[in-house]
Amino acid sequence: MNTQDVTTLHSQKNPGPLVWVKSGEPMIWINAAAVSLSVIAVVGLMALLAVRGFSHFWPKDVMLSNVAYQDNVRPILGEVVEEVEVSRQQLLEAGFTLKGSEDFFQRTLLKQGNRDFLGSDFVWLINEQLDAPQYPENVVVIERLEWGNFYGYLKSVTRDGALVADAAEDEAGAWEAFQSVIADTLSVREAIHVIERGDIGRINYAMERLRLEERTLELADALDATAQAALASERAELDAQYKVLQDQLYTLYDSITNHSYSAILADGREVSLPIAKVVRAYQPNGMGIADKLAMYVERLWEFLSDEPREANTEGGIFPAMFGTVMMVILMAIIVTPFGVVAAVYLREYARQGLVTRIIRVAVNNLAGVPSIVYGVFGLGFFVYFLGGELDQLFFPAALPSPTFGTPGLMWASLTLALLTLPVVIVATEEGLARIPKSVREGSLALGATRAETLWRVVLPMATPAMMTGLILAVARAAGEVAPLMLVGVVKLAPSLPLDGNYPFIHLDQKFMHLGFHIYDVGFQSPNVEAARPLVYATALLLVIIIALLNLAAVTLRNRLRERYKSLEA
Amino acid sequence: MQTHAIDIESIRRHPAAETAGPIDNSLQVEGLNLFYDQTSQALFDINLEIPKRRVTAFIGPSGCGKSSLLRCFNRMNDLVDGCRVEGHLRLEGDDIYAPNVDVAGLRRRIGMVFQKPNPFPKSIYENVAYGLRIQGINKKRVLDEVVEKSLRAAALWDEVKDRLNDSALGLSGGQQQRLVIARTVAVEPEVLLLDEPASALDPISTLKIEELIYELKSRYTIVIVTHNMQQAARVSDMTAFMYMGKLIEYDSTDRLFTNPNQKQTEDYITGRYG
Amino acid sequence: MIHQDSYKQHISGQFNAELEAVKNHLLEMGGKVEQQIARAVESLLKRDSGEAMQVIAGDQEVNDMEVRIDEECSRILARRQPAASDLRLVIAIAKVTTDLERIGDEATKIARQAIKLSEEGKSPSSYVEARHIASHVASMLRKALDAFARLDVDMAVEVVVQDAEVDSEYGTALRSLVTFMMEDPRTISPVLNEMWALRSLERIGDHGSNIAEQVIYLVKGMDVRHIEPAQLQAQMKSSND
Repeated sequence: MNTQDVTTLHSQKNPGPLVWVKSGEPMIWINAAAVSLSVIAVVGLMALLAVRGFSHFWPKDVMLSNVAYQDNVRPILGEVVEEVEVSRQQLLEAGFTLKGSEDFFQRTLLKQGNRDFLGSDFVWLINEQLDAPQYPENVVVIERLEWGNFYGYLKSVTRDGALVADAAEDEAGAWEAFQSVIADTLSVREAIHVIERGDIGRINYAMERLRLEERTLELADALDATAQAALASERAELDAQYKVLQDQLYTLYDSITNHSYSAILADGREVSLPIAKVVRAYQPNGMGIADKLAMYVERLWEFLSDEPREANTEGGIFPAMFGTVMMVILMAIIVTPFGVVAAVYLREYARQGLVTRIIRVAVNNLAGVPSIVYGVFGLGFFVYFLGGELDQLFFPAALPSPTFGTPGLMWASLTLALLTLPVVIVATEEGLARIPKSVREGSLALGATRAETLWRVVLPMATPAMMTGLILAVARAAGEVAPLMLVGVVKLAPSLPLDGNYPFIHLDQKFMHLGFHIYDVGFQSPNVEAARPLVYATALLLVIIIALLNLAAVTLRNRLRERYKSLEA
Repeated sequence: MQTHAIDIESIRRHPAAETAGPIDNSLQVEGLNLFYDQTSQALFDINLEIPKRRVTAFIGPSGCGKSSLLRCFNRMNDLVDGCRVEGHLRLEGDDIYAPNVDVAGLRRRIGMVFQKPNPFPKSIYENVAYGLRIQGINKKRVLDEVVEKSLRAAALWDEVKDRLNDSALGLSGGQQQRLVIARTVAVEPEVLLLDEPASALDPISTLKIEELIYELKSRYTIVIVTHNMQQAARVSDMTAFMYMGKLIEYDSTDRLFTNPNQKQTEDYITGRYG
Repeated sequence: MIHQDSYKQHISGQFNAELEAVKNHLLEMGGKVEQQIARAVESLLKRDSGEAMQVIAGDQEVNDMEVRIDEECSRILARRQPAASDLRLVIAIAKVTTDLERIGDEATKIARQAIKLSEEGKSPSSYVEARHIASHVASMLRKALDAFARLDVDMAVEVVVQDAEVDSEYGTALRSLVTFMMEDPRTISPVLNEMWALRSLERIGDHGSNIAEQVIYLVKGMDVRHIEPAQLQAQMKSSND
């Protein structure tokens, strides 16, 4: 190196902005910014859903405060849901008279419950109307089957019409007695649930089958006296069983209807309510962190495992999860063989030419069709045409009430299978294309036929791609709502599509779905404020399920890719 | 067009030939023309006879048709759309391209090893047993025996006997290629077609494969295509030189590499401008 | 089939150069050996011991040339793995150098006899036979080397045929020298010296013939050693058709 080289190498002491742009540095920064934004968006969304959704299950303290408004002072009990700042102008326009002269006022949304007594269970209060909040330990929150939460003070507990405890005499004893009666009631209710859903459900199902049998015979002109007699005797037997169960039910119902409690509202009114409608009762202000945590887990578990109640705004979402998973599994069972067979045909057997090109274009375009179009197609073709034909052929006895001629689980699965078919085909084709020609030739050279080669070598090697395609399809199907609204999803299904009654899987039944549940709870609910946390929680659950499925796909693909890597190199 | 008959005398002079018995022909090619579509002809009027239990090498520049010719023997060209064969190929007198030929059965009689090692993504054991399983042989005892015999024949047994159930993809390139040979030998073919079997391997692995070819010669008719003239000179008894789809010269390897008849052959093997 | 330009047509220019070099070195060695023979014969005829001493000294150079050419041949074999005509060329060169070196040795032997003759007194013969055989052998060697340089088979065949003539001339010369020894036993020692020199010349002819045979192998790929000249001529004729 001579001196001249050194001077040229070191001459760029002052790089201008143009030099900086040329160096490619800005591109790196732009990329980094884009990636950061994406990450922030995803993390933010998840965090929002988690905070809004899962804080709902935390037993919040109940605030007692006096509301002073236009010379009228009344005590109020409730949970603080949120606080917002509103302008003076807005409040004046809404008709409030204000004492203060600030430009902005704090406003609190209070969940006061007691819809049966107060009319609405949420109330907006301007903070200047409230005096200092207190948190009395003996405030009771009672979750009920109807009318939402109850907030107040326990006064007395009555078991079978007889007073067993009075809070005025022994507060702790009364609370204990209350909890024990609730526990008894809950176990009785569980027994009732089992009889109603299980045994009576089974009898109803059998009765319906008998009716269909009779109708079938009638249609076939085979309903003679002996058949009628046989049917009648079976029916009589079922009736007898039903009677027994009904008696049991009456006894059980009777055993709890006379449990009641009386409680005092914040404004001093005393009310008496049935314990039969109580889900659980707790005193949040007196609970420690550990107690609250236990309660939190209990409520979360209830959310995941229970059925919804109160127009989906309370209770759990288990049927929706179950329905989603069930539908997705059925879809996977339908779409896999179709997709794989189609891909194998396109890649292995079809003569590569104009026709296969057209088919490929068609398949790819199929992936771009809006999902609601699939819904319409499913409704028109599957439900009305195919379902109607099926009913005519196999279920004439049930007509005019349709069996398969109405939206149901099978049609929803089929529609989504159609929707996700392109994903599976494309992924499988990719997998088949990646298998080196030399491996196929190796198999053929050993005297294997094309089919044997396909079955023993090519398809096993393509499994990672097939799995990837399938799980991507599952992830997409799990998140799809629009077409399902047309072909089988309902806001509340009376029973799960899988139960103990023959044939166990009820493909003709309507079912619940997480995505639709979000829509229904969030936008169709009569009590939007009450349902909002559930929307968040349900949405988070849906996102988690889909994210898990995607994660599984990526992991699986990477692992299998690793396994076959040395072949591709 | 000249017919290339085998110069038996020149083979007899080869020291390796001393152990062998009488020389018969295994494969016969008569007036073979190969077309890849209407316009492009890959092989022109090929005539040759490939002796039994000898190594016959096809050499020639890239695209000269030597691989195409090799792939005619086990009808691998059938897989190519629009490929058409004229003329006759016979294995032990049976016409390979007769209309009623069971191609899978033919391929069991004529095994093939490819340029790049192509083990299946299965265990070593399953790779070797593959051909038998295809034939419906699933008895463990039979398979065990054949797997061991074949791996021994491919000089791989000692290296893999303790890990027969490991994936074949974990073997080195040379081991993989010997595994492929073992897999091919396991179905007891009459002919082994080797399509540049060592071109993807390092020199030591190449030598091992060559040694293996030498040992397999006593039981199989071997046809090898190679780019490497020295390799052809080392392993083969007969050598065919092909150029532009034509068989230019076919003679004993000794003769072809010391005193070829054709100027094109001379120019190719001595590395002159063509 | 192969011709002089054959060795300039390899794709590898380096290989061309190597083959060309070793061939030129061989021809150089041939020239040196021819010179040695000429001087040895000169010293014999003129009984010039000084010249003879120079011939003996010059053999070292011939030996060095042989070693160098052999090295070149091994290097080409190891590095280029020549085939066909290239292979035959290298093998032929390796063999021809051996013959040339032997010819060099024979030239030294003649020179030694020349010294002895100059010290022990003149042979009674007039060296007519020696002169004649020497010129014959020298021309054979020149022709053999020419044939090698030009890859000329016909010329090589001529050399092989000539060797037979030399052999018969050698027999005639021996018989005439024997008569000298019978006439005068005192001449036995110088005549024997002359006979030794003649024998060396005859050996040179054999080596020249060997060189010519290598030329035929090089060009035709045919091994014509141990074949009668008449048969050889017949074969050449048939292979040229």
